[in-house]
Amino acid sequence: MAWVTWRQHRSQLVTAAGLLVALAFAALGTRLPIEAAFHHDSLAGCLPPAPRTGCDIIVPHFEGEWNGLVTAVRVLAVLPVLAGLFVGAPLLAREIEQGTHRFAWTQGIARWRWLLSKTALLAAATALAGGVASALVMWWRTPFDTLEGRMGPASFDIEGLVVPAYALFALALGVLAGLVFRRTVAAMTSTLVAFAATRFLVLEFVRPHFLAPLHRTDVASGAGGQPGDWVLSDTLVDGGGRQISVARENLAVLHAQQAGIDPHTYIVTLGWRRVISYQPAGRFWTFQLLEAGLFAALAVVVVLVTVWLVRRRPT
Amino acid sequence: MSAAPLVAESLGKRFRREWGLRGLTLELPAGAIVGLVGANGAGKSTLLALATGLLAPTEGTISILGRDPLRDPGTLAEVGFVAQGAPLYKSFTVGETITYARKTNARWDDEIVVELLTRIDSSAKVGSLSEGDRARLALAIMLGKRPQLVLLDEPFASLDPLAGRELLQLLMDGVAETSATVVIASHVVADVERVCDHIVLLAGGAVRLEGSVEGLLESHRLLTGPRRPLGAIRGVREIVRERHSGRQLTLLAVTDGPIVDASWRVERVGLEDLLLAYMAPERLPAAARPTERVRLRWHG
Repeated sequence: MAWVTWRQHRSQLVTAAGLLVALAFAALGTRLPIEAAFHHDSLAGCLPPAPRTGCDIIVPHFEGEWNGLVTAVRVLAVLPVLAGLFVGAPLLAREIEQGTHRFAWTQGIARWRWLLSKTALLAAATALAGGVASALVMWWRTPFDTLEGRMGPASFDIEGLVVPAYALFALALGVLAGLVFRRTVAAMTSTLVAFAATRFLVLEFVRPHFLAPLHRTDVASGAGGQPGDWVLSDTLVDGGGRQISVARENLAVLHAQQAGIDPHTYIVTLGWRRVISYQPAGRFWTFQLLEAGLFAALAVVVVLVTVWLVRRRPT
Repeated sequence: MSAAPLVAESLGKRFRREWGLRGLTLELPAGAIVGLVGANGAGKSTLLALATGLLAPTEGTISILGRDPLRDPGTLAEVGFVAQGAPLYKSFTVGETITYARKTNARWDDEIVVELLTRIDSSAKVGSLSEGDRARLALAIMLGKRPQLVLLDEPFASLDPLAGRELLQLLMDGVAETSATVVIASHVVADVERVCDHIVLLAGGAVRLEGSVEGLLESHRLLTGPRRPLGAIRGVREIVRERHSGRQLTLLAVTDGPIVDASWRVERVGLEDLLLAYMAPERLPAAARPTERVRLRWHG
């Protein structure tokens, strides 16, 4: 089946390899100037535990300078779903559309075995490609990660183990959608929707609770969280611990301004505090493992469902 | 002796609301060359899809060489199937198509495939082949499996008569040594007439007529005589079709003994005429209703 898979999917595999090479060159070309600027500005001295003075100016300046590129790299979050759209969705949909499943599925090899072999081989290639892309992004983002951490979704979602896991899940979804909808375009659309919905639901409702979030109480005027943490919520509470509504906060600020007092100082004198709920930066790999495991498990379930359907409920 | 090549019992397949096949009971004799005939939509393709596990029966059972084609995928190793239109990967070359089949079939005979395809350039893309050559390639690949049961769905539909005849010859040569059972589905009676020794005629999703060609020709007679009101005719079990021309009345009848009434001229009937009589649309409500016959007689 290795030959069969290669012959039927070589254009997709070659395209993927080409994309990765292009990505590697782009990463190399843009990363070197960043590296130079990082050293030139002596940003290493701004890292905890003892940042030198002036970092509150240097760091934002450095980040602002490269903001465009960092945003561009964030767009790479769409890479995993491409495996589902362009490899997974056509896998069965194209066969059924062109009627070739009536040839492929009536050879000596059982069709579930045919499907499972192809899916497994393509999954291996997908995981490899996802791993390479993820490694490239991690390497490229190192200067930013050391400054900002990588626990927040903007970096978490394009680094580490989750990238290949997302790609595997998208691939599996695509194959299933192809079998269910039997048309390539319908399969691609539904893959995109299902993948985006799952990612959103996990990000909003599952990932924040992988481990119980930590809480920190700050004086009301302090800066947000520690750099590198993933802040889940940041609320003002009064001395009794009750949450303060936005309207009440605005009112207090207005009072302070009318009285000619600095609003921050005023709020501190009221005894209000900020309670920050967050996932600390140190949990990065734990969370990566949990989220990647979750998506890999989902992918396995989807593949098993597809194989079962192909075996039991023919076209 | 292995199990019967194809046994169906009360087989039915429903597509959404409509039944494509219903109450089909059939047992094919091993080694027969079966013509599966019927008008378009009679259920031929549905039957073949059920036989290859491409469809699951809604009711009843089908067994291929004693095995369930859907639950026991190993069945397909013994079955050579060419679907309608001979679907193959258009972007593959001829050589790659053969490699594909070799890699997806445990039992594979390269020799027969090479022999059949000497005329075709193996580096040509399947998509660029003529209909005839593509059908030939599909047939060769099917024979490469050395199947015990060969199922062909409208293999001649897109071919000119000469190419069709050549393909038929290839098929017969290919199965001659393995004594495989062959089922050729076709709505063109003339195509199957040449080689088949057994007939299964489908109409409205059920078997309308089944038997060996010899037996069918033996049991049917064409009766010609002057026009007259019809009563029971001695020796006639069932009248399949009546035709009037002037004062002449022609009956195609199933006989169960000699026709003794000397006013009838009794002739044997050709297979094509016989099958067409059963396939004719006005006969589709399967059982002949007496009222219908009366009406036809006087106003026909």
